[in-house]
Amino acid sequence: MSATATHATPAPAAPAIEVRGLRREFRVRQGMFAAPRQVIAVDDVSFAVPAGSVLGVVGESGCGKSTLARLILNLLAPTSGDVLVDGKRLADMDRRARARLIQPVFQDPFASLNPQRRVRDIIAMPLIAQGDVASDDMHRRVAEAMERVGLSRDQALRYPAQLSGGQRQRVAIARALVLRPRIVVCDEPTSALDVSVQAQILNLLAELRRDLGLTYLFISHNLAVVEHIASEVAVMYLGRIVERAESERLFAASRHPYTRALLASVLTPEPGLGVPDVGLGDIMPDPANIPPGCRFHPRCPIAVARCATEAPKAIADAAGLVECHLAESVG
Amino acid sequence: MTALLEVQDLRVTIGSTAAVRGTSLAVDKGETHCLVGESGCGKSISALSIMGLLPKGSVRETRALRFAGEEIGGHGEREMEHLRGNRMAMIFQEPMTSLNPAYTVGSQMTEVLRRHRPVTRAAAVDRAAELLARVGITAPGLRLGQFPHQLSGGLRQRVMIAMALMCDPELLIADEPTTALDVTVQAQILRLLAELQKDLGLGILLITHDLGIVARVADRVSVMYAGEVVESAPTAELFAAPEHPYTRGLLTCVPVPGKVKRDEPLGSIPGVVPRMQPGFTGCAFRDRCPEVTAACSGSFPRRTIGNDHQFLCTLEPGWVGSAAA
Ligand SMILES: Nc1ncnc2c1ncn2[C@@H]1O[C@H](COP(=O)(O)OP(=O)(O)OP(=O)(O)O)[C@@H](O)[C@H]1O
Ligand SMILES: Nc1ncnc2c1ncn2[C@@H]1O[C@H](COP(=O)(O)OP(=O)(O)OP(=O)(O)O)[C@@H](O)[C@H]1O
Ligand code: SF4
Ligand SMILES: [Mg+2]
Ligand SMILES: [Mg+2]
Repeated sequence: MSATATHATPAPAAPAIEVRGLRREFRVRQGMFAAPRQVIAVDDVSFAVPAGSVLGVVGESGCGKSTLARLILNLLAPTSGDVLVDGKRLADMDRRARARLIQPVFQDPFASLNPQRRVRDIIAMPLIAQGDVASDDMHRRVAEAMERVGLSRDQALRYPAQLSGGQRQRVAIARALVLRPRIVVCDEPTSALDVSVQAQILNLLAELRRDLGLTYLFISHNLAVVEHIASEVAVMYLGRIVERAESERLFAASRHPYTRALLASVLTPEPGLGVPDVGLGDIMPDPANIPPGCRFHPRCPIAVARCATEAPKAIADAAGLVECHLAESVG
Repeated sequence: MTALLEVQDLRVTIGSTAAVRGTSLAVDKGETHCLVGESGCGKSISALSIMGLLPKGSVRETRALRFAGEEIGGHGEREMEHLRGNRMAMIFQEPMTSLNPAYTVGSQMTEVLRRHRPVTRAAAVDRAAELLARVGITAPGLRLGQFPHQLSGGLRQRVMIAMALMCDPELLIADEPTTALDVTVQAQILRLLAELQKDLGLGILLITHDLGIVARVADRVSVMYAGEVVESAPTAELFAAPEHPYTRGLLTCVPVPGKVKRDEPLGSIPGVVPRMQPGFTGCAFRDRCPEVTAACSGSFPRRTIGNDHQFLCTLEPGWVGSAAA
């Protein structure tokens, strides 16, 4: 469906998030005399997230997950490509309209909450930034958001330092919800939390999605967490999505050797299984030095000669998307 | 058989915090004992106490602290220095605490050996290169000449392991050795540790907050909560028949691929780990425990099941929860 489709069309609705040919480069200089190097953090990424669903994004450190999140939130401008939210180009929207549509929740709630402000005022910030919300309306909506995320009334006057990590993450989620957005971009929202608190926050996010019909882009390096919450999963490697599939399918029958290595490295709490050999060797990917051919080939356990010279074309089929010379097309 | 390491009733107070409150544990030669628990429960402080490396202002008491049969609780700094890095080595939670940014990998590795052994520089360099190769580093010669900041996180962690092995220690304490690493690298490092242990007969005390790691590498597990070991058992038994409500709760919080349905709520434990004051009595978990009774505020003994499984709770072994229908 085209980007100019009108609101009157009942179905199929525009995807909540649509990303087309998204690319972002950085120039990095390591030391005064070194020549600047180009890092392609996100490299020609396209996908659509249907409203009400959860796209999980996984991949190793430095593969571009946070850059993708920041591009989708318009916190960073793409080098090329477009982000459409609800069928409209994000770049054409004004800041306030954007804030009403899409909101972030980041990994470290401590770094993302202003330590000088009380919980109540932190959650009210997006409303204040809208500029036209009456003050009793504001109080009501802050109270409503706090209740939704399970914060008690007496926490309204506290400062972030007086809260636990899980409570701080609840504040960040309340702030993200106060404008009643349709989409929430979560970048490692539970990575800094203990497992008992992580479970509380994951349950809360799942409940909010169901009750409010939210759409999530959910980034995590923890595959078990992603499997638990995401309906669809995208696997990133050095800036590209190398595989994308419905969650069940990806976990049961992944088609890319990198996805399989990632899945093999998940250590489930099942005694007696030992630690598997993921077969990736000790070469680490370097985003400033992307290998020719298939970018995964130096680590790939099943690579053949042409993987080193020829970049695999994306196979987009009934099972999703995969970029590997040895992957078979489905149906 | 005497344990390689035996800790009895370890207590550490730092200012007004009771950081460790009566931890007992033992590590045998060739065994991996995992100490697992959430942030702030006293895992690192327990490890640092064993090594004699507590932060200034800490007060340590123990009933016994024995290494290879010898009581080391009364050792002074010189005697500890003689053991540390030599017969017992530690990999720290933060790699940069044990790697000096100002020196090359090679000079730091050889320094450790030459401090404890009368070897020539050339022999020490050979040993360092051999160990770097042993931990899976492909170009040892190149790495010896590099500074820590020139290495990736995974390489740095391997260097730390190699450095800890320079003097052929009997005991290795590894504090969250893979927490900062990608899962793929984590799997490689854990395999490496298991292999080294098999080859060298090392006793390993592995500290982690990750129950997945515990299940896969431990022979024995001690679960810590608020400064004490609340349950300890052989690994298979701990996962098959956990007794402490905290252990049972923790196991339901972990999403397991293929086990928990999407969007079905995970088990969770309300509240957070409390910070303990000295003089606290009763169960530290009682404010979060679904099974709490009045007895939980008093003192009660540790319970034993068979000869190898202990837990610290007022409940009878094999209890059936009120919530479990
Ligand atoms: N502002 C920036 N300037 C220069 N390089 C950047 C910038 N932001 C990101 N990069 C680089 O882009 C690449 C992707 O980074 P990004 O933070 O998106 O990775 P990530 O997948 O989120 O990693 P992590 O799991 O560690 O959070 C990295 O090589 C990073 O160093
Ligand atoms: N240098 C210090 N000064 C004061 N208190 C400290 C110090 N180091 C640790 N503590 C306190 O001691 C307790 C135990 O801390 P410890 O570092 O052993 O926890 P941990 O189990 O290793 O947690 P983590 O998983 O976060 O590493 C905590 O309450 C902590 O705040
Ligand atoms: S294209 Fe080749 S190198 Fe790349 S993942 Fe597939 S098999 Fe491996
Ligand atoms: Mg990131
Ligand atoms: Mg610690």
